[in-house]
Amino acid sequence: MAAPMELFCWAGGWGLPSVDPDCLAVLTYARFTGAPLKVHRVTSPWRSPSGHLPALRTRDEGIISKPQQIITHLRKQKYNADYDLSATQSADTLAFVSLLEEKLLPVLIHTFWVDAKNYVEHTRKWYAETIPFPLNFFLPNTMHKRHLERLQLIWGDDYMEDEEKLEKELYREARECLTLLSQRLGSQKFFFGDSPASLDALVFSRLAPLLKAKLPNGKLQQHLKSLQNLCNYCTSILSLYFPWDGGDPLTGVPRAAATDGSEAEEDPHKRRKQLLSVLVGLVAMLGYAFLSGIVSIQRGSVGPAGRQPVALEEEEEEEEE
Amino acid sequence: MLIHTDLLRRMLEVCLSNWAFCHLGPQLISHLCKTGAAVLKAMGRIGNETVKGSLNERPEGPELAAEPWPENAALYQQLKEEQILLSDNASSLAVQAFLQMCNLPVRVICRANAEYMSPSGKVPFIHVGNQVVSELGPIVQFVKAKGHSLSDGLDEVQKAEMKAYMELVNNMLLTAELYLQWCDDVTVEEITHPRYGSPYPWPLNRILSYQKQWEIRRKMKAIGWAGKTLEQVLEDVDQCCHALSQRLGTQPYFFNKHPTELDALVFGHLFTILTTQLITDELSEKVKNYSNLTAFCRRIEQQYFEGHEKDSATIAARSSKRPLLR
Repeated sequence: MAAPMELFCWAGGWGLPSVDPDCLAVLTYARFTGAPLKVHRVTSPWRSPSGHLPALRTRDEGIISKPQQIITHLRKQKYNADYDLSATQSADTLAFVSLLEEKLLPVLIHTFWVDAKNYVEHTRKWYAETIPFPLNFFLPNTMHKRHLERLQLIWGDDYMEDEEKLEKELYREARECLTLLSQRLGSQKFFFGDSPASLDALVFSRLAPLLKAKLPNGKLQQHLKSLQNLCNYCTSILSLYFPWDGGDPLTGVPRAAATDGSEAEEDPHKRRKQLLSVLVGLVAMLGYAFLSGIVSIQRGSVGPAGRQPVALEEEEEEEEE
Repeated sequence: MLIHTDLLRRMLEVCLSNWAFCHLGPQLISHLCKTGAAVLKAMGRIGNETVKGSLNERPEGPELAAEPWPENAALYQQLKEEQILLSDNASSLAVQAFLQMCNLPVRVICRANAEYMSPSGKVPFIHVGNQVVSELGPIVQFVKAKGHSLSDGLDEVQKAEMKAYMELVNNMLLTAELYLQWCDDVTVEEITHPRYGSPYPWPLNRILSYQKQWEIRRKMKAIGWAGKTLEQVLEDVDQCCHALSQRLGTQPYFFNKHPTELDALVFGHLFTILTTQLITDELSEKVKNYSNLTAFCRRIEQQYFEGHEKDSATIAARSSKRPLLR
């Protein structure tokens, strides 16, 4: 209990503390339970100890990477948001989590990462701007391919090839899933009464990016916005548990501050890089100059420069003779 | 037309297996398995296309609701004695239970290439009039369009819970069954490989089952189950059964008085797990820990399957383990 655990997660954006649903789920759960976590918001998975985000560095058990395992670990450390739930409510949690994972999450991945317009204009742009050089050239594309392959395996080839069928059936089921969640929530503050549970963390983490991101092709988003109780639910959790991180809808001021901060962080590296490149250029120029004899130091200049023309003349004379 | 495709298929299999015998090479084998499976799929689809009407469209509109349920509706699955696997048997039993609960008569027809005949590649599928529909979800909607529904009496919150619990069964129980029969090496070697390709000659049977295994393993990796051990999978099954048991409580059905499609689905999976003999008894032991679930299975079986002698589900009720499904 002495040293806090460290969590590495994706940086925030679009008004959220983190843009990735898995990272957001873990963060929200930690906030709900008041677990003391030191949060590192990193901009690339290479900075995390395990190479994947989210990653939790614990004191005794090494590094845990899967969000479900992180939540289980927090629960073992006595930070349990489901403590007050009855047995039926725990069973319901399991069922609704399955519903989210099966029906909603693949369609969300499709909306953000595979749908051509959204991916190019929104997701890739954000990731390319946030991830530092030189990873930003290939990392978004790698992530895109990984998500595409995952969807292909889950849904099968005929859905991926037939856009209309995909739209009609899978998006319809996702909309139905959102409506079902809305009906289950009703007018309650959280899914199981007045205090939040792990199901709330998961639902919030899936819905919040969909709600907040400015997607160009946003049919699913429009359906979510039409479900008023879910929108209120997300905004209330944001304002209650993340008031200074992402609750501010005006992205201007915090964004500017964030970019200044990130620039200041990168500044020593930037300066160093500039200095290094200038030095290398200078050394290369000088070295070439010396080696080819264009520039020479006073002491040695007369000798070699003088001897060579003399040697040439001698050769010419010899040849002539 | 289905008979003709059967004949063509058999001829093709013989040719393919002879060819494979002569020209065994790694590239040729992979090419062979791809063409073999593709041809079989095409055969299945040709069989389907001859059936007039749409293949996999959702039935909508009043024109289909007007048609009553015909007497010769058929449900296709793989061969019961030698070929069918745990997960497919569970799905098929769930659909049969659902149709029984709706009082809709259906004949069960066993075909070796049922998987390839199906429009979505999954068994079981039903052939009703001139429509072919596969998997429980679409079948429920199809039956609803015909005017029969089990979940009309539920309110909105209950419908949400029902859908959620159906997804729970699909997500945990079905995936665990698939894991056990395709990713657990002992089970794969002794049960799955011999059963899956049993109607086909060597080497087609081996090729098809290796191809299916590779496909399932990739899918497991995509959903994050590849890294799980057998103990963790059994632990998940236990959690799922615990949740179902909690939800059922002491009620006769999940939504008190009347059975719904959730009851059919749970029955299909749990009954199959309880009555299938695998290498070890661990999976069925997990289910047996919850007495209300076993009582639930027995109750549904007595009520809906008792009258049909030819349905081997009834025979299974007498003995706890049935050696028919190895």
